[in-house]
Amino acid sequence: MISFTDTAFIFRFLPLFLIVYYLVPAKYRQYVLLFGSLVFYAFGEGFFVILLMALIWVNYLFASYSFRSKLHKGDEYVVRHKKMCLIAGVVLNVAVLAFFKGRAVFLNNAYLPLGLSFYIFKMISFQADVYRGKVPRSAGFGEIATYFSLFPQIAQGPIMRYEEGDFGYEKTFSWERLEDGLRCFVSGLAMKVILADRIGILWNDIKMYGYESISTPLAWLGAFAYSFELYFDFWGYSLMASGIMVALGFDFIENFNDPYASKTVSEFYRRWHMTLGSFFRDYVYFPMGGSRCKKSRMCLNLAIVWILTGIWHGNGLNFIIWGAVLGCFIILEKLLYGKKLTKLPVLGNIYVIFLIPLSWVVFAITDLRELPVYFGRLFPFFGTPSVVNRSDIFNYLYDYWWMFLLCIVLCIPKVTGYLKKHAKSPAATAGLIILFWIAVYFGTTRARNPFMYLHF
Amino acid sequence: MKKTPFLIALLISIAVFEILGIIGSMGVYANEEHDIVKAPVLSKVFTGINNGIYPWEVFDSNERSRQLEASSLKKQKEEELLKRSQGSGDDEDTSSGATPSPTATPQNTPKPQSTPAPTIEPTPESKYPKGKIEPLRESTYDEYINHISADIYGDIGVLRAAEYEFSKVELEYFDDALFIGDSRMVGLRDYTELNEHADFRCETSLTISKVFSSDFRGKGGVEKALKSKDYGKIYIMVGVNELGTGTTEDFIGEYEEVINRLHELEPEAKIFILSIMNIDRERSDSDKVFNNTNILGRNNAIATLADNEVFFYININEAVCDEDGYLRDDLRGDHLHLMGASNSIVEEYLMEHGVL
Repeated sequence: MISFTDTAFIFRFLPLFLIVYYLVPAKYRQYVLLFGSLVFYAFGEGFFVILLMALIWVNYLFASYSFRSKLHKGDEYVVRHKKMCLIAGVVLNVAVLAFFKGRAVFLNNAYLPLGLSFYIFKMISFQADVYRGKVPRSAGFGEIATYFSLFPQIAQGPIMRYEEGDFGYEKTFSWERLEDGLRCFVSGLAMKVILADRIGILWNDIKMYGYESISTPLAWLGAFAYSFELYFDFWGYSLMASGIMVALGFDFIENFNDPYASKTVSEFYRRWHMTLGSFFRDYVYFPMGGSRCKKSRMCLNLAIVWILTGIWHGNGLNFIIWGAVLGCFIILEKLLYGKKLTKLPVLGNIYVIFLIPLSWVVFAITDLRELPVYFGRLFPFFGTPSVVNRSDIFNYLYDYWWMFLLCIVLCIPKVTGYLKKHAKSPAATAGLIILFWIAVYFGTTRARNPFMYLHF
Repeated sequence: MKKTPFLIALLISIAVFEILGIIGSMGVYANEEHDIVKAPVLSKVFTGINNGIYPWEVFDSNERSRQLEASSLKKQKEEELLKRSQGSGDDEDTSSGATPSPTATPQNTPKPQSTPAPTIEPTPESKYPKGKIEPLRESTYDEYINHISADIYGDIGVLRAAEYEFSKVELEYFDDALFIGDSRMVGLRDYTELNEHADFRCETSLTISKVFSSDFRGKGGVEKALKSKDYGKIYIMVGVNELGTGTTEDFIGEYEEVINRLHELEPEAKIFILSIMNIDRERSDSDKVFNNTNILGRNNAIATLADNEVFFYININEAVCDEDGYLRDDLRGDHLHLMGASNSIVEEYLMEHGVL
């Protein structure tokens, strides 16, 4: 797979694809997009493209059986028939995901096809939307296959719904759309390459001498650095993917909305990876009864959703712990203090700003023996190891203070709001051009970090 | 078009950098490697900036001729290596010699040639020859293009250096010592008491070629440090970051220049060449470049620079590696570094290897 940050993608694949896409007549663009997406996927994942194509075909078959049900007998039969198609479709998709995730756990991560978790979730949401009548009966194989395989989204989402794609409508060319898409793409590129990759070095560096050796302030700085890395990596990717989609004539899909300005963990996850959150809400939580049921049932529903979220994110036990811990806090917020926190001016923000980085530490450290060591450094209540460099934080602050400053500023909604509002000003245009070339410089000369959500 | 200023500015800037790249390709960027399928020519402008060649130097005729000369030298070297490899062809001697230990050779790379056992001319005082030790063979073209650091000296340098009888010293011994090194040396600075006695000029990612040019994060360069104080000992540990670049000959050439310059600037100081620390089994057995076979090739080379009078070689791997030569799992932080607390082992080892 060519990464969006590779010069091969930025200067070769993307311009070539856009030229071909807009040179062919509008009615054929969908097929160019389908073909280009499959080539893009096959380029990196080789034979797993066959799996993708097979899953596209099977999901199309289930959908077309479901569409056909209306031709038969009475309403009761139609509902039962559609339900059967839905259940079969969901079971098949979940089984494929479980099979490959299991293989990855017991054999090797290399056996996990790229983007599987993302496109399988698209397939599940598609089957549910077919059942709910949100997918038009006119949807043909071309549209469905294009939706599943869209190259900007195939590796890491966003998990777009079928109805959001306006499939079946011809995508007309517009210079303004192309401009808007590229602005988005470059903003995301800069976030990933200039911010996420640079601040991520700190997190890697503190592993260098072992977690036992770091001071408590550095342990906290590391937790914040990893949180920023993950945020700007994934937000950057989402902007790049959505930017390409806009350039191709689709609507912008929002995946992040200033999550660090939240006052509760529940709010944080309504603003973070929004397409995943809404997937779990609409296709898991609500069908189980959501919060319109007894409190005990609601707690169970939330627990199931967050355990599943943990499993979806990775193969290690730490991801399940991460999901379970977040689920616990969200349940506590629902039952006890959530509403109070949202009403208080600063306390909620402090709660989120400290709790979320701690949860990312659980997310980041896959070795469960290392996890207590790191937490022991974060909270040195049980003593400090004999050899700790107490001034280590100053070495890191010397190198990274400006990165932290930038990251913090970009987490403030007023700043991002201002930037969005003035995105087309001459200063913003010039700034974006400069950022683009700085990102190209880093991309050309520094070791590349793969996107962090790439193998989920 | 007025509605798309970003797109226009982007296309114009791409055109400008592309033109600079094309013009530079015939001059200042002649040395930059480039794959036209994967990246546009403009990427040479950025790799150029990274190598200290700025876009405006594209039009500088002096810089152009300098780079062209370097490029032709590089080509000449590659051709020589290739010719030699083709000439030696089937004559590869694998029968004897200094067998690298650990023997783990990364898969999918041509096996490094074994070095024949050196013929030793004993002197009355030493089992080993005095003066400069010549390599027993040259690196081959295959080794060069596969980033293998050939073991071209065998262990004669290490054995000769080990003849010196080091003395046990106290921490105060390091009061007039300067330590120069990469991230491994940073560990020694940050997690041992040496920091209270010696001065350090070390930083992550330091390579031998940057020893004199680095400013060590605003602390001041090596030359400045040497001018500000009279040092009696200089310790140097670099080499892991440049594994995979150039040949063993290139590395030892640069290393020799650096230690000679250190000697020139501080003639009274003893200069201690610390071995490049080996890496752990997991990384070494899976990495084509960062592995202990390549480290051994380079360590055997720098050990030959020790004359046991001014220059001394200290093999710290004796202290921190297991019987197979891998960095011990119980001592390591990540795959390449010692855990903070484990640096005291190196500190103690250095205290056992003083020169009085």
